[in-house]
Amino acid sequence: MPHARALGRWLLFGLLALYTAFAIGPVLWLASMSLRTTAEIDRAHYALPTTWHWWKFAAAWVDSSYRVYFWNSVIVVGISVLILVAIGGMAGYCLARYHFRGNRVIFFAIFSTIMLPPQITVISFFQILVEYRLFNTLAGLIIVYIGVQLPLTLQILESFFKRIPQELFDAARLDGYSDFAIYWRIAFPIATPAVVTVVIVNFILLWNEFLYAVVLITADEKRTLPLGVYKFMGDQFSDVGMVATGAIISIVPVIIAYTFFSEKIIQGMRG
Amino acid sequence: MSTIPPRPPRHTWRVIGLFLAPAVAAYLLLTVYPVLRTIYNSLLEIRPREPSVFVGARNYVQLATDKTFWLAVKHTVIWATLAPLLEVGIGLLLALGLYARVPMARFFRVAWFAPVLISYVVVSIMWSWLYNYDWGIVNIALRAVGLEALQKAWLGEPRFALAALILVDVWKWTAFHMVVCLAALQGLPREVLEAAEIDMCGWVRKLRFIAVPMIAPTLLGLLVLGFIGKMKVFDLVWLMTQGGPLWSTETVSTYVYKRAFDWNTFDLGYPSAVATVWFAAILACVILFVTLFRQRDTLEY
Amino acid sequence: MRLVKRGITLSVLALLAVLVASLAAHAQDKTLTIWTMGGDQPGWVKWLDAIAGNFEKNNSGAKVKITYYDKSALLVALKTALRAKQGPDVVYHEPDQMELVDAGYLRPLDGIVPWDKVQPWAREAWTIKGHAYGIPYSWYTNEIFYNKKLMAELGVTLPATGQVSQADFLGILKKARAANMEPMVIGVGDRPFPGAYLTFEMLLRKLGPADYQKLLDGKLSYADARVISVLRYAKEIVDAGALPKAFATLKLSDSYQVFFQRRGLMFPQGTWYSQRAFAPADKGGQPEDFSLGVMNFPAMDAGACNNCRTAALSGGYGVSADTKQLGLATGFLKEMATPEMGELWTTLNNSPSGVLFDPAKVQNQYAWYFKELDRARQGSKYFIGIPLNFVTGQCRETFIQVINKAFPAGLVSVDETVRQMNEACYKG
Repeated sequence: MPHARALGRWLLFGLLALYTAFAIGPVLWLASMSLRTTAEIDRAHYALPTTWHWWKFAAAWVDSSYRVYFWNSVIVVGISVLILVAIGGMAGYCLARYHFRGNRVIFFAIFSTIMLPPQITVISFFQILVEYRLFNTLAGLIIVYIGVQLPLTLQILESFFKRIPQELFDAARLDGYSDFAIYWRIAFPIATPAVVTVVIVNFILLWNEFLYAVVLITADEKRTLPLGVYKFMGDQFSDVGMVATGAIISIVPVIIAYTFFSEKIIQGMRG
Repeated sequence: MSTIPPRPPRHTWRVIGLFLAPAVAAYLLLTVYPVLRTIYNSLLEIRPREPSVFVGARNYVQLATDKTFWLAVKHTVIWATLAPLLEVGIGLLLALGLYARVPMARFFRVAWFAPVLISYVVVSIMWSWLYNYDWGIVNIALRAVGLEALQKAWLGEPRFALAALILVDVWKWTAFHMVVCLAALQGLPREVLEAAEIDMCGWVRKLRFIAVPMIAPTLLGLLVLGFIGKMKVFDLVWLMTQGGPLWSTETVSTYVYKRAFDWNTFDLGYPSAVATVWFAAILACVILFVTLFRQRDTLEY
Repeated sequence: MRLVKRGITLSVLALLAVLVASLAAHAQDKTLTIWTMGGDQPGWVKWLDAIAGNFEKNNSGAKVKITYYDKSALLVALKTALRAKQGPDVVYHEPDQMELVDAGYLRPLDGIVPWDKVQPWAREAWTIKGHAYGIPYSWYTNEIFYNKKLMAELGVTLPATGQVSQADFLGILKKARAANMEPMVIGVGDRPFPGAYLTFEMLLRKLGPADYQKLLDGKLSYADARVISVLRYAKEIVDAGALPKAFATLKLSDSYQVFFQRRGLMFPQGTWYSQRAFAPADKGGQPEDFSLGVMNFPAMDAGACNNCRTAALSGGYGVSADTKQLGLATGFLKEMATPEMGELWTTLNNSPSGVLFDPAKVQNQYAWYFKELDRARQGSKYFIGIPLNFVTGQCRETFIQVINKAFPAGLVSVDETVRQMNEACYKG
């Protein structure tokens, strides 16, 4: 029954469009508010911008210290991600390609920490960082982030390394490469897709990370971006326009990363 | 093409050690040690400037009669059961929609995924505004269709606050589950799709009785992972309601955070006990699920 | 790929460098760190800047670093940072934050502050376990501010003391609601005390200071007939729709905007009101043509002390017990405790300084405001302290959730409130 089928398709499209409005509507509203002043918003909360106040972004960047918070997030997330790739890559390669007693034990031990609730570790991390004078430092936060994200990183990289054909390594060994050279010059470069996935996934998770940051960082100039936006949910009377602008600043990097790498992320998650 | 690595000769034990050392060190120092330390903490009463006092099981006994704790447990379990069901359910429906090849599929996928990428801080700002009594869209919509009487301060009423938060959580994560379901559907053998093209009614039925059961393992895996993930929920609650009003959105994580960092005694022992008990509970659930479904590979997606 | 590899090597080195740097960075430069609230109040910022300026002039080489926090965020940050011995040198805190003293995070200010320059009753009011831990920057009383124009619109004339009977008070609120005003603007979105204005101010007037103190100390049951009658009356106010619908989530700063711009009639608040309200309108202050009045909570039937009023210290500055800059901290507090700075605070903020100063020297355009306050407060007896100064632990948590939030929101009945408060607070 072609008519019923066409009707069905339109119904389906309609439902999906409805969900799309639900999913992305609030985000578009936030973006629209980021370009309007608070006075304009108070008059008509859901209207589109009539004048596009691009200067608000510059104001938030400079006056409201967003560039400090942005920079802190870049440092913390950048260093964490790169070290995670280094450590996770080596361990994932080793666990994937070398047979030895305890291989699976080590893998599952590390991977199982993915189910740990953060609360079981956050109190101890607080005490540990204080004792080693790393409380309220970016370095301390980086170390914690590495510990927290290692299981997921390891899992993604290990499962990728498993699928490389053995012939590649046999040939390299015949050519006289040392074990580490095989890893660094052959396996690691081949793992580019998995590395990209790991980088993007970790970037997204750590860029938005809140719980550990709010416990372990108290100084204003060391705040990461989520803490920076959090600060503006505060005492000053709700400058809705500026809060929206700041929120958009914090979202932009992640949206950009996603737009360019969405295919890779999805492939990586399927793998 | 063999992918099974051969057994290594003895001397590469050193190499293995070198490769694994950083990761294992990170694991021991940053996971095992803190967990053990928290468990140890739970047996103490920790005072800020004085040495800690060993109190044995006293914290655990206190926990058994702590009303707020049990409320928190109830809310967290409700959340962890309801939210994954909604997210995976709606995600599956969306994935089926995309699978049926509607126009603009790529646009839909990108648009739906945006909430997943947004930090909880921004999500809570957005939704606090949407739930605002006077100018939030929820109440405006109710007013527009003449249902003013149903207007509420959604985050301010104990009866509705938890549901309101769960809705935000579902908004954020559904697309993630959609992506995984879609990947699973697209991994099915082509005959399923081809057979579905024949006629519309048969198409729907075929999807329901063939395609969906075939991806059941994926769905179960998502539900289990979702359950475990929601048992830890903190950011959203803390940012929007801090466990209020009247403890109606208190979760185990917000309670631990409050007792540890926002209470007017500085004892870290009691919240450590709460965290330890919760960890044991999650561990028990995981073991239960694994034995129940006997499918360890559903834990990998 | 090569980029990633280089990046990895670089970041390992960077991490090590950052680690070394943070371990070494507890350098002893002469910087005094101060954490305080008040960044959203222009008068407060100016006052602190003035003190910092004087301090730096008189202590060459020393620098002052002030970090502004939101009030709720400040307390949490202090609790973690002071525990980690990484807090500021000069600490803003409030009298109800006794836990900071109990935990030993603050240093007694006995030899440090020139107490002869501070309001004498203030030191006594803020003595904990025999020592004083903070210089009060200001003190306040709890009043009801109201919009004179809207009150006239309702056709109501208040007596000179601004105090009417219970029945009349309720009548005014009902009229206001019918006239599409916000009868009593209160918001508890981000503070643990405003909801209690509705109940505890009236309890003070009904019970009188002695029994009110007993109630706060847990020695008087909430099931006392007088307490129940006050709670019932408060419930009538709630049921009449006197409080805003968004009460539970309305933030303090936003409640000011509701009062100014949405036909708010009454606004119970401490006299720190002026610190926000007299700022320019675009910084959150009153609009140009706003006609402000001061009235009183109603006279309770058979009230033991209807001319009682709550007075309290707003908060103050103390010194961290672990500070490495004791000399600088002492110097800063000495600069704060001068009559000039007392005058400056009062002039900029229109709320009285905790430091002794000469009122005659305070000249600004708000003389009418002080006259209005004096008129409303004439003949008052003062009870020092707000409820939060007295309740701790589970009682405090229940107070914040039930009395402050749930009861005024109409979510719990009088009996339920009595039961919960007794369970948490009454010591039998």
